Amino acid sequence: MSVVQKNTSEASKWYLPGIMTGMGITFRHLVSNLVDNLTGKKKMITLNYPEEKHEYSPRFKGNHVLTVKKDGSLRCTACMLCATNCPAECITIVASEHEDPTVEKYPVKYEIDILRCVFCGFCEEACPVDAVRMGPEWQTPGLNGANFNYGIEHLAYRPQLKGGIATHVDDEERHKAGI
Amino acid sequence: MPKCTINGKEVEVKDGTTIIEAMYGKDGEWPEGKVAHYCWHPGLSVAGVCRLCMVEIEGNPRLQIACNTMVTEGMKINNTSEKVKDAAKWGLDFHLINHPLDCPICDQAGECGLQDQYMEFGKYNPEMAEKKVKKHKVVDLGPTVVLDTERCILCSRCVRFTDEVSKTNELGIFNRGDRSEIGTFDGVPLDNKYSLNTVDICPVGALTSKDFRFRQRVWYLKDAETVCNGCSTGCNVKVYFNREGFFRVKPAYNPDVNGYWMCDEGRDLYKFVNRENRWLKAKKRTYNGIEEMMPGAAAKDASFAVKSLGDSVALVLTGQYSVEEYESIVSTFANDLKSKRIYHWISNPEKANDFDGLLLRGDKNPNTKGLQQVLQKHGVNTNWADLLSAISSGAIQTVVVAGPENQAVYADMKDKIRDLSKAKNLIWLQTGRNHDLEALTGNVWLIPMKSYVEKDGTFVNHAGLAQKFKKTTTVVSEALTLTEASDLLAGKQLVIKPETNVFVESEKPADRVTVEHRKKNEFVFRRGTL
Repeated sequence: MSVVQKNTSEASKWYLPGIMTGMGITFRHLVSNLVDNLTGKKKMITLNYPEEKHEYSPRFKGNHVLTVKKDGSLRCTACMLCATNCPAECITIVASEHEDPTVEKYPVKYEIDILRCVFCGFCEEACPVDAVRMGPEWQTPGLNGANFNYGIEHLAYRPQLKGGIATHVDDEERHKAGI
Repeated sequence: MPKCTINGKEVEVKDGTTIIEAMYGKDGEWPEGKVAHYCWHPGLSVAGVCRLCMVEIEGNPRLQIACNTMVTEGMKINNTSEKVKDAAKWGLDFHLINHPLDCPICDQAGECGLQDQYMEFGKYNPEMAEKKVKKHKVVDLGPTVVLDTERCILCSRCVRFTDEVSKTNELGIFNRGDRSEIGTFDGVPLDNKYSLNTVDICPVGALTSKDFRFRQRVWYLKDAETVCNGCSTGCNVKVYFNREGFFRVKPAYNPDVNGYWMCDEGRDLYKFVNRENRWLKAKKRTYNGIEEMMPGAAAKDASFAVKSLGDSVALVLTGQYSVEEYESIVSTFANDLKSKRIYHWISNPEKANDFDGLLLRGDKNPNTKGLQQVLQKHGVNTNWADLLSAISSGAIQTVVVAGPENQAVYADMKDKIRDLSKAKNLIWLQTGRNHDLEALTGNVWLIPMKSYVEKDGTFVNHAGLAQKFKKTTTVVSEALTLTEASDLLAGKQLVIKPETNVFVESEKPADRVTVEHRKKNEFVFRRGTL
């Protein structure tokens, strides 16, 4: 433990010079930033937060996206490898038999409890068909009572995705190639 | 009795034993090392089609299949050499030429022969550049089974099963070469009472059960062995469950009872065990209306209608509880409550001795013999007509019923509820929900019981074979066993009875420190008073 003696000298009671020094630094930066910004020499570092948002790279592991096929249906085959791999156990899948025999198995329920999710990206890594990805979206606040259990409607078809993200994996092509 | 040497160890086997049987051991423990195989199954005839069980026999220039080669005197067998491993590895490659790698959507994934043996014997880089042959997927074979011909490796186990065991001959192999498929003739569904055994013996995911299809991945399930309570055969089964409930039942090998098989009816028996079909709270109905309470509290509450009424209390037992429970409740009634009115509810006496020649029996209670033995031991000899006349004459005021777990096989349930509810007080102990009981008026206690997978016990099957089983898991933790219910109804407190646990032998040494001895030891004695 280190014991520091309190500075009780007379000089230390004069706090105004210290404050003035600090304010001086602040004003110097304010003026120099304003001048730099107006002359276009340097961009402002800070953001006007709620209106302006910082854009992360596309590789950022944010909120999940379920990809879709060319016809807009879900790519997910409900193999549950993501749910098995998930260390936070936040993925719930209920599988069912599809009426189309070439699809065979599909999820009737795919839920991610985003509050439990630790954004580790293991689900993305485990997925054999590129059905679940983690997107750059990360600011998803909600008011009291908001639903943080994201279902298929949100994960695959939320308005921000503009009709869903298609994968590069194509079933028809794979089938023709004899895979 | 020829003697042979397997992997350098001398083994003596019976005449006519094949090499794979000699290596299989008693119950598949493979004491001499595992042999890769698909088509060979200990319960079926030898086909020799998968060509995977290659072994090296000294003096023989080529490898031989273990499943169709008899052991002869002085044979020296080796299945650990590089040559054998190489044969299994590339044999596996040929099996996988047209296999679609559906693993993510295949129900067999996790318990698949191809996956297991690839990890054990394969681990090669596939060298096939040809396209895979496309065949039929999701073929509806019948009411219970779905076929995927692409996944099939044509081991013909299922064909031999319908040929030899169920003797219904529905399945066959059609077409030739790499277009061969398992299938049935047009319009002939795979519909027999043992059809789901084909799913069990299928080493790949070609045959899948409609009931289990896509409901769980197998690695989410735990398994435990128990005895089927579907009929008086008492097949040994494995139940598969997780915290969401039970999902399927598979047979467990027992040469004395069921061999490797079980019937399709028995596979549905996990359903009434699951929470959604169970009573979770006890219901007490009086003229005030319905009151819900915990099962133990309800049994205590009902005890006033049982205690000190002597012979005006009747007990009705069904054959679906364990011997230990019968022993407890019958002795409680006979000795503590002094009532000899104990009746055996037989649901279908006319069909009781039916037998289909393989496993299914007409008596749908697992423990009819056990109940009869307990009743005989306590000298109870009553008939049903007495009960009905005593209820209508008012000689019986309270009826305690240990209702059936599997209500589907009790066709007379409605009639019996109507007859028994004429008594002044009705205490009905049962696992599953029943709308007729819930609609009863009058003094009724409906008390949830534990099902057969939730308790230790013994079932005595049709042949008098007593089979012990252990608790697998708990579904409704508040529910009572019949033993607990009998104690509570008799007004006793619940205690742990070590002698009722027939499986754990008491190895506790007696306490050698007597109380007198403790008193002399001041330190030990005083410590209690600090």
